[in-house]
Amino acid sequence: MIPEFKLSSSVNSRTLVMATSGYINNIGGQKILEEYTKHQDAVDFVILNLADSHIVNSIGISFVIEMIEKLGKKSGKLIFTNLDPTIDKTFTIMGLYHFAKKAATVDEAMALTV
Amino acid sequence: MENESFSQSIDKLKFQVKSFQEGFSLLTQSSDLQELGRNFHHLLRGNFLVTDFCLFHKNGEGWQRVYGSTFDEADVTTWLKPSDQFVFESVSGQKTRLAITLPLIDQSHFGLLIGQKLDRTDFAETDTIALHIFLQQLDNAYQFFISQKKEKQFSFDLNHRVVQLNSLIDTGIELSKLNHNSTLFETSVERVVSITNASFGVLQILEKGHLLREYSIPEGVPGEFILKSDNLIQSEIEFQSKTYLFTLADKESRAGAVPFEATDELLLGAFARQVLTALENEAHHEESIEIEALKRELSVAADIQKKIIPTKLPEISGYELAGLNIPSKEVGGDYYDCFPLGDGRFALIMADVAGKGVPAALLVSTLNASLSAYMSMNMPLKDLAGKLNSIIYKASPADKFITCLIAVLEPETGKLAFVNAGHNPGFVLRADGSMEKIDAGGIPLGMLNMGLPFDSAEIVIQPGEKLLLYTDGIPEAMNDVEEEYTDEKFEQFFQNHSHPSPEKFISDLLEDVKLYTGSAPQSDDITVLYLGRN
Repeated sequence: MIPEFKLSSSVNSRTLVMATSGYINNIGGQKILEEYTKHQDAVDFVILNLADSHIVNSIGISFVIEMIEKLGKKSGKLIFTNLDPTIDKTFTIMGLYHFAKKAATVDEAMALTV
Repeated sequence: MENESFSQSIDKLKFQVKSFQEGFSLLTQSSDLQELGRNFHHLLRGNFLVTDFCLFHKNGEGWQRVYGSTFDEADVTTWLKPSDQFVFESVSGQKTRLAITLPLIDQSHFGLLIGQKLDRTDFAETDTIALHIFLQQLDNAYQFFISQKKEKQFSFDLNHRVVQLNSLIDTGIELSKLNHNSTLFETSVERVVSITNASFGVLQILEKGHLLREYSIPEGVPGEFILKSDNLIQSEIEFQSKTYLFTLADKESRAGAVPFEATDELLLGAFARQVLTALENEAHHEESIEIEALKRELSVAADIQKKIIPTKLPEISGYELAGLNIPSKEVGGDYYDCFPLGDGRFALIMADVAGKGVPAALLVSTLNASLSAYMSMNMPLKDLAGKLNSIIYKASPADKFITCLIAVLEPETGKLAFVNAGHNPGFVLRADGSMEKIDAGGIPLGMLNMGLPFDSAEIVIQPGEKLLLYTDGIPEAMNDVEEEYTDEKFEQFFQNHSHPSPEKFISDLLEDVKLYTGSAPQSDDITVLYLGRN
């Protein structure tokens, strides 16, 4: 009945790449943070590919901020990619780009982790 | 020996003073309670050689473990007292030496269990004093932590409000640009779900209670399912007999579902009104496109009609001739003409199509073309009328027909043959001042195609006599109280007015009609054709 929020991930050279599909709300945000927590000792960078997520709410964003804070403690970085223009604007207003980066594609984001 | 002991005490004091300075800095760097517990443990270890330490937090019922695993639930139950006061107790547990309850600024409490020192000595009085100072620092660090958390939350909430306002403005702009209703609806539902932190949203379009369409977020969730929620808000708008019902369900928070706020209802209402405005704008836009297209059609039809209505009438030796057509709309339904038939005779036509606008102009055009083709064939007028009737019947819809008076003048003799297909009778003003009506004919052209016969007749116009053909726009011209000019008034004017010239007569006639109708708008086309034999 309820469309499932989907998340896939892979770890490569201390970088966790996550791709989401669906509404980044309470459920979506929790899943993102849980996935990071699972890998946090093994990674310094997180790439969040939002190509298939076109809607986000502030609860979802609060989980993303928590992940940014955890990464910040170990001088790690979060990089968003494939952003929907509306989500991009929301992240700008919420001030996320003071602590995270964005790139057009996952490949471009990978280049920023070197 | 005493000096050595004194010196050690001084060194220890110096170390602790330095620890106090560094301690607060360390504690205030903590980003969460667990880190605060860990940092406080560092201070205890460095200053008192304590390794066994646990920090608990109580906000409401029950102690929650924050940091450390040395002490178990039994120790907590035994040593941590539920008290709103500061408790600092030296105890003699198996592992526990100190049990502390520290009330905090937000009515919550820290519970600390501290084990024995590594050197197994008791906590001296100086240790107790130093520990009180560290506890004060822990309290201050917690206040700082709470204050920072509030500041962060305030900043987050403020930014969220800006996102809401921005989304409202952006959506308004985007909706005003869209041409496809479905995109408009999806965009509006998606945005309002996002900015209100709703789990679900649906826009249902209903007509007389029946669901026509629905747009839901997340996509694919049936509106029926969303409406079952006991935590929802709704807003609806009406447009062109359809109801647009917006529903938001299950407002989210980090702690779970919460009730919607008044702001959410305001936002939902604002989005619904934006959709209404977009729908209205789109309808107005489509309407203006249709009007524009109609205007272009009318303009083309008016051009065609202008070419059909004669700009200059032929000169007929021994006769004076004048005509005028004033359409009440851009494209009228009246038609008149006079043209030579090539054998010395002239055709005079006066016609009125039922209706106006483009359809009327098309019928006038058909009549004009048919007359041009058949008049030169020199067929009897009653046969011509039958032929024209058949053509107009086929060319016109059921509610369209033409009343028409066709006359053929032989100028030398003054003979005037005519057929009147349902038109107002023509007037002939005889030399003796009497008036005669010419009325022989049949049904209007195009009304029926049952082979009904047409009659024709012939009169002679003598020198000094006048012929007037017209449409009903003159006798039926109405004043402000919708009273007609009438046939009688028109006939009297024709009969009694002086006739200096055809043009002057027509001009005077129009002036008389205008005097009667006053400020009332022209209700119908006005057309007259005047022929006077010298």
